Amino acid sequence: MKVQVNDQNKISPNLVFFLIHAVQVGVGILGFQRYIAEKAGYDAWISVLLAGIGGSIIIKIMYSMLLKEEGDLIEIHRTAFGNTIGNILSVLFLIYYFMMALAVLRTYIEVVQVWMFPQLSIFPYAFAFLGLVYYIVAGGIRTVTGIAFMGVVFPLYLILTIVFPLRYADFGDLLPIFSHAPIDILAGVKSTTLSYLGFTTLLMYFPFINDKRKSHIWAQLGFQFTTILYLLVAVVTFAFFSKEQLATTIWPTLTMFKIVEMPFVERFEYIGISSWALIILPNVCISVWAFSRGLKRVFHMQQYTGLKISIIALFILMLPFKDRQAIDQLNNYVSTIGFYVLYAYIPCLAVVYHVVRKVRDKHEA
Amino acid sequence: MKWLFGKKNKETNVETLDSLLKELKASSDFIHFHYEQSPHGYWISYFQTLVESKILHRDILPYVNKETLKSLEKFKEVIPIEDVEITSDVKKIKNKILQGYVFIQLHEHDNEGLIIHAATHKNRQVSVPEVEFSVIGPKEAFVESVDTNLNLVRKRLPIPNLRIEEVRVGKLSKTRTYIMYVEGISNEENVNTLRQRVKGIDFDTITDSSFIAQMIEDNHNSPFPQLIDTERPDRVAAILAEGKVAILVDGSPHAIFGPTTITEFFSAFEDYFLSWHIASAFRLIRIFAVAFSILSTPIYVATITYHYELIPKDLLSTLITSRSNIPLPPFFEAVFLELTIELLREAGARLPTKVGQTIGIVGGIVIGTASVEAGLTSNILLIIVALAALASFTTPIYRMGNTIRLIRFPFLVLGAIWGFVGIVLAFSFLIAHLLKLTSLGRPYLEPIYPPRITDWKDAIIRLPYSYLGKRPVQLQTQDTVRFSEQHAKKKRDHISRKSDIDD
Repeated sequence: MKVQVNDQNKISPNLVFFLIHAVQVGVGILGFQRYIAEKAGYDAWISVLLAGIGGSIIIKIMYSMLLKEEGDLIEIHRTAFGNTIGNILSVLFLIYYFMMALAVLRTYIEVVQVWMFPQLSIFPYAFAFLGLVYYIVAGGIRTVTGIAFMGVVFPLYLILTIVFPLRYADFGDLLPIFSHAPIDILAGVKSTTLSYLGFTTLLMYFPFINDKRKSHIWAQLGFQFTTILYLLVAVVTFAFFSKEQLATTIWPTLTMFKIVEMPFVERFEYIGISSWALIILPNVCISVWAFSRGLKRVFHMQQYTGLKISIIALFILMLPFKDRQAIDQLNNYVSTIGFYVLYAYIPCLAVVYHVVRKVRDKHEA
Repeated sequence: MKWLFGKKNKETNVETLDSLLKELKASSDFIHFHYEQSPHGYWISYFQTLVESKILHRDILPYVNKETLKSLEKFKEVIPIEDVEITSDVKKIKNKILQGYVFIQLHEHDNEGLIIHAATHKNRQVSVPEVEFSVIGPKEAFVESVDTNLNLVRKRLPIPNLRIEEVRVGKLSKTRTYIMYVEGISNEENVNTLRQRVKGIDFDTITDSSFIAQMIEDNHNSPFPQLIDTERPDRVAAILAEGKVAILVDGSPHAIFGPTTITEFFSAFEDYFLSWHIASAFRLIRIFAVAFSILSTPIYVATITYHYELIPKDLLSTLITSRSNIPLPPFFEAVFLELTIELLREAGARLPTKVGQTIGIVGGIVIGTASVEAGLTSNILLIIVALAALASFTTPIYRMGNTIRLIRFPFLVLGAIWGFVGIVLAFSFLIAHLLKLTSLGRPYLEPIYPPRITDWKDAIIRLPYSYLGKRPVQLQTQDTVRFSEQHAKKKRDHISRKSDIDD
């Protein structure tokens, strides 16, 4: 069934590029190198590439469903499984969006605590940050898209910092290529997943895109931009760190910031981590928007109410995650769930959905 | 509930002409007298303070003679004034008398009479713009009389499509407000939005165009102005031709126009008189000035309080020496200096010009030097704060300059609490706010967001005129083409000397 959206609230298709890219790049890029190198060694850049190809296929699958339904995930679930089961599945999916926002925000606060302010108490900062998220999401999808755009464009200068470690880099570390078994490389793909997550929010904001068919190419481009970025970061990291050093470095990207040295600035990581808030912000905003929009669609409540619920819940659920272990576990959960959602659930959903549609269409005809 | 709000302020309803004249006579400047020429004369009534007595004595009274005394029609034919009408509509008569018309009756208790236009216009001469002064370019500025202002604009756009609509705003002041736009170019939606909002204003007295600007802006709670005010008739003519809509208000030497974008607030009209490289460079300087003005003090406070490791060793020693005797934490040091500068600015703005200059010197030099010597502030911060204040004055639109100075303080507070993290948070709030803002329903951050590459030609930089052939997409104009770019290019090629390399 078609989901109707006021034309005034729609976004142009090229902005999907930013929505896809902004929600992917978050805290994952700060530390994914260690996880993938654990599995696939310095062949892990191949895993990054493979994850890029895999994601591209998943986007294509999502578009095949969305374009046929002309609606969102809630509608697809209802078509495929009926109202009740469909809604239950939708709610589970929404919880996953919520966990993404939680994991990203909590991890960022942890980074700030570890690298800048060990004394920073979470609550005042989380309060201010979530207030900002509320302010943005209350502005609707257009404001959220705007912040996604700004969150991509403004911190883009951080790419330049990749030049500094190159002075100490040795690309010979990457050789020989294919020194690991394909199964290890595939395990590396699984570890990269956390950094690629989030673009499933497309399933929620799809009805708000103006020229839906045209937006597909932009979604793919946005995704591949992420892949290129990760590839670049991974290759430079592998060339910069030795294997043993990388194994003990939690946030290799941040450690590389420390190499940056300019005539007027030292200890660049302070600037880098502060600017990172602009990368985290769209991440949280898009997830919270998708969550609250889902609440509206499933429970027929006002999205404002859904938004308030999600902000308060995020604030309260910050509580249990006090130390590194807990946060790491949260990230692992989100990563694992995300992996199965992407590569198992969505393809299965697509099969069920297309079969149901075909049967129904035949029936109606 | 009625008692709570008091009686509704209704206009006194005058029913008959006699009671109207009686009511008006309560004012001492209202003249109602019998002009006697045998056998019976006229009854003449007008506001002495609104009527040009020259007109009365030269063009009206000499024509009272035996012939014209017979009827009002005769009189109307004779006098050399165009705006003359015979009417018995009491409400109309009242309004006209209040606008400076002379009212003439044949007999004292007649129900109808002649209304003759004889209003006086006391206003300033057109002078040089003071707020938006430009070294080159036209030097006319609007004055308080809206008729003069309309003339200044219309003579620059001698086309029949220039529409001027009158709306009276204000229950008591009944201020003449004019909506101007060029039919066939400007988007009707913009005009309708503006017209509706102006007509919807419910207020007693409109003193200045800034009243209207504040009342019709999209978001009343934003510190950012969403409509530009200008005192330059040439600028108004230019934006009308571009497809925007302007409002002129009687009694105000500033026109307001919209829809606009944030980048337009940082473009001075002089940019169009200079060559495009210079203009673009100046615009970039202004953008830099804004960033500097907002961020410099907060970054200083954040760095000194939390992140002194950021500063290279050599620079750090300079900073430490200058701060070594200061007892205050950086935040209070910065607030102290910022407040001093704001005090100086405010005092300078309120004082008469000559005293103001003295205060500027006393404040700037004496207080600055003294506070450094007394060990209250550091030299470096003094330089930063003074530069930041200077930078905030580069904004060409006065109202925007005020905003820039104000939003520095939340940055300062958040920077003092959370260092750089706090500054980025404040910055995110600012961006989010700007993303949500609209000007007459059009996005305020355009062409940055939504990204529209074609509109970058005249935003942060200004390209040569030959590239400005299309009107801004932002305005959604009916006629998008200003001139043919191809044609212009051909002409330009013709003018510029060809290189002989291929000959």
